[in-house]
Amino acid sequence: MAGVEKKSFLSPVWKRRLLRSSSVILLAVAWEWGARMHFVSDFLLPSLSTVLERLWNDTISGEILVALGLTMVRTFAGFTMAAFAGIIIGVTIARVSLVRWFFDPIVSVGNPLPKIAFLPIFILWFGVFDWSKIAMVAFSSVFPVVVATWAATENVDKYLVWSAESLGVDRRALLWQIILPSAMPGVFTGLQIALPISLIVVIICEMTMGGEGLGGSMMTSMRFADSPGVFSGIVAIAIIGSVLVKLMEIVRRRLLIWHAETAH
Amino acid sequence: MAGSGIVFGAVTHTYRPLRGRPVLALDGVSLEVKEREFVALLGPSGCGKSTLLYLLGGFLPIESGSITVNSKPVTQPGPDRGIVFQNYSLFPWKTVKQNVLYGLEKQRMPKAERERRAQELIELVHLKGFEDSYPSQLSGGMKQRVAIARTLAIDPETLLMDEPFGALDAQTRTLMHEELLAIMQRSPKTVVFVTHDVREAVYLADRVAVMTARPGRIKEIVDTRPASGSRANYLQAPEFTAKVDYLWNLVRDEAIRAQEDHG
Amino acid sequence: MKDNIFIRYLPLVLLAILWEIAPRVHFVDPSELPPLSAVAAAWWSLLLDGDLWTNGISSLINWSFGLGSSIIIGIALGVMMAWSTTIDDIASPLVKALYPMPKSALIPVMILWLGLGAGSKIASIALSCLLPVIISAYNGARGVDQTLIWSARACGASNRNVLWEVILPGALPDILAGIRNAVAISFIVLVASELLVGQKGLGYLISFLGEGGVYDAMFAVVITVSALGFFADRAYLYFMRRTLVWRE
Repeated sequence: MAGVEKKSFLSPVWKRRLLRSSSVILLAVAWEWGARMHFVSDFLLPSLSTVLERLWNDTISGEILVALGLTMVRTFAGFTMAAFAGIIIGVTIARVSLVRWFFDPIVSVGNPLPKIAFLPIFILWFGVFDWSKIAMVAFSSVFPVVVATWAATENVDKYLVWSAESLGVDRRALLWQIILPSAMPGVFTGLQIALPISLIVVIICEMTMGGEGLGGSMMTSMRFADSPGVFSGIVAIAIIGSVLVKLMEIVRRRLLIWHAETAH
Repeated sequence: MAGSGIVFGAVTHTYRPLRGRPVLALDGVSLEVKEREFVALLGPSGCGKSTLLYLLGGFLPIESGSITVNSKPVTQPGPDRGIVFQNYSLFPWKTVKQNVLYGLEKQRMPKAERERRAQELIELVHLKGFEDSYPSQLSGGMKQRVAIARTLAIDPETLLMDEPFGALDAQTRTLMHEELLAIMQRSPKTVVFVTHDVREAVYLADRVAVMTARPGRIKEIVDTRPASGSRANYLQAPEFTAKVDYLWNLVRDEAIRAQEDHG
Repeated sequence: MKDNIFIRYLPLVLLAILWEIAPRVHFVDPSELPPLSAVAAAWWSLLLDGDLWTNGISSLINWSFGLGSSIIIGIALGVMMAWSTTIDDIASPLVKALYPMPKSALIPVMILWLGLGAGSKIASIALSCLLPVIISAYNGARGVDQTLIWSARACGASNRNVLWEVILPGALPDILAGIRNAVAISFIVLVASELLVGQKGLGYLISFLGEGGVYDAMFAVVITVSALGFFADRAYLYFMRRTLVWRE
């Protein structure tokens, strides 16, 4: 990249492949070794093995599964609400000018707001149990879905629409059989953005409001200075975050199988 | 004069991607370019002609063989070998004038002199009035002229050109040919010009080196100077057509082989 | 008429009017949604009391140090990764692995390490914003056309010249887009961390007022924080467009 490629005595291509595949492993090893050497106290950085062991124990005992289950229920409840409302609103905005007039400033002003600031308001309205969390998730996640759906519906290839109209397709069929399928890739992208947001918001709500759930149990660990608990919580959340993203990718490939030729 | 000009000595180059097998791009290319000579490298896609140019420019490391310019081996890029690319390669965040000034700034020329020289070159390529325009506001032909002005500003002994007119439409390309020849008349330089357009090569160059399909070697070198010594009316001359035909037949087989290779 | 800015934002004006009327006629419970005028009055007295200022300054410090450091470190790391293949080979897999993790999950660790004060909040913001900036700087720097770099070298540019005069300007569009992202994230993590722990900051003020039952003031601060996030984004967009004027 620096204009003239440097030569090294080890075959450059193999050296690079080696580095790439092993860097994550090297970091894990460094973590474990550094913790065992007690460079920092056990409290600040428990060893990787301790954290993994703790994660394993919590899984066996079912503790993690309960917390995970709660977090997932909240995430999906809020996400589903946001998905439904967002898609309906997004499509309607693209199709009905009055609706567009009404929602345009709301979306454009609402998008960059740190919606988490509304959490105390939702607690005021919905109490300290699940509904406030779910409402917060829905509120935060609906915006990216609306934006993506609106754009996808509006930008359907107009030639496609004209071809259909000239074939005598009525408005209803036009919407359901032409426009919505064409918009699906863009809509799904919006959903793919919204799901991680849903997860993050649930975790923040749980951390703030306590109780069970991955976020809540992590805060509890923190309050009891139980650092293996905090770290295992992070690992659990990281894992579930990756799993959700991967799941969405798989669903996307199945759903949009007809779209597979277009490099997406 | 011995030792002057460019000498390629059995240059071999292998392309090693991060994924996939290494590919032999150039296989023992030897060529001499005399001082102030205009040599075209002609060949099918993938024959390595651009690679050879980049090696000469010092942008790629020379693994095997040697390249010397005025008896000094090439190790890295430098202002003695200016380069013009097909995609113009103008700094999009700089204006026309700032682009042309770039090399002059690197040479630590005093400010007044830099400005004067930049202005001189902008006028040379007929872009007076566009000094404060950004590249995004210019047409392809105009952009290429800025690129040429920028390279000429630092007055390199050698000019490397990598299919510089390939992205232009036919009319603009013809005009650019004439402009290039006019500029070379005023301040002659050693030029190594890469192209896959046979007519362009015959029209512009003193000699044309035809390269084989990958791995690239020099197939044949043809003298393409007009007998009259002047390029006026060269395009209509029968010797022009004869040379184009001859070269096309040389290239044609290689072009077919290149297609089969890629396909 | 449609392009008129007044017409465009009219729905918001209507919603504001609704906000004023609905609680007053008891269409909604005014103890749960105080009328807009009450919220405005509460905002005003918070301002005069100085509460808004002191907490605002505290948040500003957390936010600017957190975001600022993530921008500087992120650009430096991203460009270094793009510049050196060795650093790229070591760091890229790590970045890819860390990307899907919700960064807010790091807040408790930061509190564990740095306590309940500003330090943990600044660190949380910095870490959360770091990855988007690194990735955009990396992509931007890698995306700089090789021929631009070579042209610069043929003009006599040194390594340092290439880095500062070609790669950084070339990567700027991507970097600026990544920073816009980071600005949005920074507000979220700021508010989240201040809601969680601490004695200062606008997030803390919101939860304090909420727990004290002073709802009109609570709404006022929520609106303030939201407005800050909104105007930060708008101001940034304006700055971005002016810097990238050459793009057309």
